[in-house]
Amino acid sequence: MRLALPQPFEDLEHTADMGVRVRGATAGEAIARLALALGALLAGGGPVAPEREVRFAVQGGPDLAGTAVALLRELLFRFATERVIPCAVEVLRADEGGAEAVVALGRHDPEQHAEGLDVKAVTWHTARLEPEGDGWVGQVVLDV
Amino acid sequence: MQLRRIEGDLWELPREGRMKVPGRVYSVGPPAPDDPALEQVRNVAHLPGILRFSLAMPDIHWGYGFPIGGVAAVDADEGAVSPGGVGYDINCGVRLVTTGLDADDIRPRLHALAAQLYRDIPTGVGASRAIPKLSERELEEVLVQGAGWAVRRGFRAASDDAERCEEGGRLAGADPAAVSARAHQRGADQLGTLGSGNHFLEVDRVAEIHAPDAAEAFGLRPEQVVVQIHSGSRGLGYQVCDETLAALTPRLGAFGADYAALPDRQLACAPVGSAEGRRYLGAMQAAANFAWANRQVMTGLAVRAFLHALDLPDRVLGARVLYDVCHNVAKLEEHQIDGERRRVLVHRKGATRAFGPGDERVPEPYRSVGQPVLIPGDMGRYSYVLAGTARAMADTFGSSCHGAGRLLSRGEALRRAKGRSIARELTARGIEILARGKKTLAEEMSEAYKDVAQVVAVMAGAGISRLVARLEPLAVIKG
Repeated sequence: MRLALPQPFEDLEHTADMGVRVRGATAGEAIARLALALGALLAGGGPVAPEREVRFAVQGGPDLAGTAVALLRELLFRFATERVIPCAVEVLRADEGGAEAVVALGRHDPEQHAEGLDVKAVTWHTARLEPEGDGWVGQVVLDV
Repeated sequence: MQLRRIEGDLWELPREGRMKVPGRVYSVGPPAPDDPALEQVRNVAHLPGILRFSLAMPDIHWGYGFPIGGVAAVDADEGAVSPGGVGYDINCGVRLVTTGLDADDIRPRLHALAAQLYRDIPTGVGASRAIPKLSERELEEVLVQGAGWAVRRGFRAASDDAERCEEGGRLAGADPAAVSARAHQRGADQLGTLGSGNHFLEVDRVAEIHAPDAAEAFGLRPEQVVVQIHSGSRGLGYQVCDETLAALTPRLGAFGADYAALPDRQLACAPVGSAEGRRYLGAMQAAANFAWANRQVMTGLAVRAFLHALDLPDRVLGARVLYDVCHNVAKLEEHQIDGERRRVLVHRKGATRAFGPGDERVPEPYRSVGQPVLIPGDMGRYSYVLAGTARAMADTFGSSCHGAGRLLSRGEALRRAKGRSIARELTARGIEILARGKKTLAEEMSEAYKDVAQVVAVMAGAGISRLVARLEPLAVIKG
């Protein structure tokens, strides 16, 4: 299922960093929402118009949380080097070994995205991706 | 959690279980036993090769593996090196530049000066191209030469800028080959950029002198205009840390039982002498040199902005680097431990080196009074210049605090700032503020931070550092 900005996410209260928590019907949906939470924070809530689509795979593990972190790390690297923000995500595959996704990317605009967060890294601290209730919960902490 | 008061503001976490050493916490008021940062102090005490104490400075708060404000020294041969003990922003640090100007000299043109600085030094998320993008060869030179690379290219206050930096503005042993292509990509166009978040460039005045002898040695006088620059290794450093953590975290058990038994995966580490440990050290040292070069380029750009905005000749501006400290680093140093001189690897994560008088590693002009220790506060109140002491050498591996330490989460800061204009509040107090994002200003407002005066008072009370001068902001540039 393809999801696009904006998607709901919860801001976990961290003194120095930024924690986000999302929910999804499937693991893939939760990972997609984590990726779009990153996009929303990079964009500072500003609009992100899709410019192109990429399909890529990442090696993850040792668990699904590690896979989620790996995908977000890749997206952060692309933001840092190409100034592109994920604005729509479809996770094609996600397991303890890795993930594959199609991601629509939009260009970072310093004016429109002036309130964007300077994310240094996606950490493994309290990273979660696991069943909860009748769905899945995903959580990562971003070093800012 | 059991805490025992040692004396004054110094507390101890007694050694228990598999802790190799006790924890020692300098605290503003009694530490809260349920503070998760204290759990991290306890976890760090499990590090292989750790010596004497797992230390925490009074600006401590929760971090990644290590608390921010944490100091841990390990045996240089048998101990563990932990990227979490350095942080993502390798050699995030502070530089202080003095000038020959007084506050009244610049007040009539303060807005123009702030605007020029804001124009000339790229700030904010994605900031780049302060100088042309570095070629591969140039970047490798930066990673080895540090601040000196930028001085030789004309980015300077004075020709001896690098000599007035911790370690002369470069760590020996840097290994550019240990810095990945991805880290190169992230760093190649970021040299000379400030960044965002809590990074800043600030024009201050010297508001109060506490120690006239040290102030004279440092070249500080009342009402003098000085410039603080707080920034680090930008994307290059973040990538080095990120990749190392990714490589080490799953492999903890491979280094032996001591490593497998570490209570927190986020304390990912490797033996200093292992291939992994040596690789990280080489990359970390290279990233540290990038950060020094970064602050050096910004120094040069700031000097040019002053000259242009104030229409001054260089000799009247009289800019000079007072000192430059790193507060996220791991360094090989020699310290006296139990009567013996030993080589150790000191991790300082959100902590500042504070070497005492007489130490030959302190630049000669300051050697009689101790190393300058630069402690930035929040953007609305004040910052401090301290001097290192012999007591710091004895008690904390020559380490002191690094700043105010956050009190509020970003979310809480935004809630408290709702309906307010932080920029207007600062302007009403005579502080020029230029920032890319209103949200950053709210997140960085004074109330979000501890009062740095209380933090440095703890260090002074414990004899770890000596108050030299208080600085107050005139203009603040933020990303």
